[in-house]
Amino acid sequence: MILALLDRLGARPAWLRWGLLAAGLVAVLGLPWVLYPPVAADILCWGLFAVAFDLLLGHAGLLSFGHAAFWGTSAYATGLVAIHAGVPFPLAVAGGAVAAAVVAVPIGLLAVRRSGIYFAMVTLAFAQMIYFIANQWGDLTGGENGLQGIPRELPGLDLSDSFVYYYAALPLVLAGLAAAWRIVHSPFGRVVAAIRDNPARARALGYSVDRYKVVVFTASAFLSGLAGGLYAVNHGFASLQEVYWTTSGKVVVMTVLGGIGTLWGSLLGAAAVVRLEDWLSTSGFDEVGIVTGSLFILVVLLFRRGIWGTVSYLLQRRGGGAGMRSAESGNGTVRDPAAGDRPERSLVKEP
Amino acid sequence: MGHTWSKAAVATATVVAGSLLAGCGGGGPGSGGGKISDDGVTLGVLTDLSGVYAELAGEDAVTAVEMAVADFEKKHGDDAVTDDIDVISADHQNKPDVANTQARNMYEREKADAVFDVPTSSAALAVGNVAEQSKKLYFNIGAATTELTGESCNPYTYAWAYDTYMLANGTGTEVTKQGGESWYLIYPDYAFGQDMEKEFSSAIEEAGGEVVGKDPTPFPNDNFSTFLLKASAKKPAPAVLGTLQAGGDLVNVVKQYQQFKLKEKGIQLAIGLMFDTDIKAIGQDKLAGTMFTSAWFWNVDEESRAWAERFRKESGTWPTFDHAANYSAATHYLEAVQRAGTDDPEEVNKELEGMEFDDFFARNAEVRAADHRVVHDAYLARVKDPADSETEGDFTEKVETIPADEAFGPPSPDCSMS
Repeated sequence: MILALLDRLGARPAWLRWGLLAAGLVAVLGLPWVLYPPVAADILCWGLFAVAFDLLLGHAGLLSFGHAAFWGTSAYATGLVAIHAGVPFPLAVAGGAVAAAVVAVPIGLLAVRRSGIYFAMVTLAFAQMIYFIANQWGDLTGGENGLQGIPRELPGLDLSDSFVYYYAALPLVLAGLAAAWRIVHSPFGRVVAAIRDNPARARALGYSVDRYKVVVFTASAFLSGLAGGLYAVNHGFASLQEVYWTTSGKVVVMTVLGGIGTLWGSLLGAAAVVRLEDWLSTSGFDEVGIVTGSLFILVVLLFRRGIWGTVSYLLQRRGGGAGMRSAESGNGTVRDPAAGDRPERSLVKEP
Repeated sequence: MGHTWSKAAVATATVVAGSLLAGCGGGGPGSGGGKISDDGVTLGVLTDLSGVYAELAGEDAVTAVEMAVADFEKKHGDDAVTDDIDVISADHQNKPDVANTQARNMYEREKADAVFDVPTSSAALAVGNVAEQSKKLYFNIGAATTELTGESCNPYTYAWAYDTYMLANGTGTEVTKQGGESWYLIYPDYAFGQDMEKEFSSAIEEAGGEVVGKDPTPFPNDNFSTFLLKASAKKPAPAVLGTLQAGGDLVNVVKQYQQFKLKEKGIQLAIGLMFDTDIKAIGQDKLAGTMFTSAWFWNVDEESRAWAERFRKESGTWPTFDHAANYSAATHYLEAVQRAGTDDPEEVNKELEGMEFDDFFARNAEVRAADHRVVHDAYLARVKDPADSETEGDFTEKVETIPADEAFGPPSPDCSMS
């Protein structure tokens, strides 16, 4: 988030950049003071998950409808490592993220051979396979009962308070966000963007299109796994819900709400959805899906750029002409109206 | 995207951002202090308010706990340890993940001192874990798994009403002894059903019977035809179909058992767990004569009837044993807080552990210190013929009392409280 602000404001005066950097820091550090700490930690986890998902959807143009597979695989793997090895939680989460990436490689190799709706369906099929494995392999995963009693271990720190856990998990989430930002702004990321915009030309230039796609798919799965592991430790629990298709759907909603291709918008989208769900369920309204679903429809109909995309689009217009800064932007999708259309189009068609 | 659209978009974005910024209080780590934490005692009822167990527990379980609080306040008046006792409730949808979140919510955010009920064993195990982590009390009423007082036992969890051992030991043993020697078991595929299947199998084998087939079924489930047909196609046909489903699932199994005419094929039905609400839903005439084991039923004796009449005035229905046990547990919890003079869980534990008591629900009862199971008399019961019912809702008659020390198994060696 902080890095994003720096990036977005690349051309603005230094004092403003630092001011916004400080504001971002205060927001992230102050979250558990304003919100109920377990919900604040959930926002971190879902935020990282949505950013990882946007890495794939917004920057590689691949709509996966099976990201729950990676989130959930890591949730279970993290839980199993934490329960049976008793290691500090960051190690368990790292183990979970690696497991998610390992699962992602074969899925990615098969899925990237297709694009558009077929890609979405193949990933969904694999995610459902993982779901049934988790359901049937009850001795390992607890099946319907879930994997219960995942410990929160960290030498020298009592993490039983969720407030403390938030700050213990924060560095891992920031590292994940930084990694996502780095990938987007690396030469690798530029090639991925080129493949998204014109695969034929990228292939003609000599890039191995499928290999790039598999690598970015795996990277996204790894970061999703990081988020899923932290989530499992936050709840002390991994259940079938984590690998269920509704979880894949939820991350799509978050990313679209925040703004496809904006990377940091996904954080806002995740925060909005988690906060909304929490607010609805604590006020005794159980049909949360109706509200988030309606919100999703509104976003798609009224402001397809999402929260972040719309705000920055309006700021630019006010600041003097559309696309003013698109040239030096590291985040072309948002500012370039033509590019902005692309993921929207696929969204309307695909799910 | 037209100009007017952009304005709408900004408005929506502002609303969303606003909802983010509007915190809901409760910032930072909580702080305790004083003898009664947070200036009052809060009882949370976490139950199924919308699913297959909503009838046997549900809203009426909340009513039972509210009754217990009202009676406690009336009894102690100005001498009560606190004059601020609240009852809150939430729906866990019978899902362990929802139960986990809701229980944490109750303990940490709503400052509940104790959580009650939680039908669905998988959800109950999740709540037991949260109770242990939060160091707050949990009184399990609605869940039957013996794991709560076995491998997953902890100093903050009590099991008040019944367990799978009690059910299997009563029904499994009795039906086998009466000649139902070959069993086909169908059980819901989660903690409760898995545990029931184990306990029933061992009770049946101990009584000289045999389990010739068994099938896990999805939970919750509407259509059991595959499993019923499989059981009836078995050669030689089993003497007994043991259904270990509960609540709404049980109702479906029994209805489909009748549709497929398994009784006419000589396959008797044995029911693992049945509440009065299930008898009502299935139809008393269809079940007349069926034997089952129950922790309590409202017409068992005078004292129970008196309480049941009062409950019926409050809720409009006769109580199930889940409702009665919720009342009993809430009452004894509040009394323990009263005696201890504090709601500190460690102090309340000292009052409850080893306590022997008798109330309208639990006879010859003891709160076992070793595993926090409340042992009490259970009943082998039979569904009455409609002609014998004295009033509406009078479904059950007692066959025999199973004394407390036989009704429940010994403390599990897997349980370590420390």
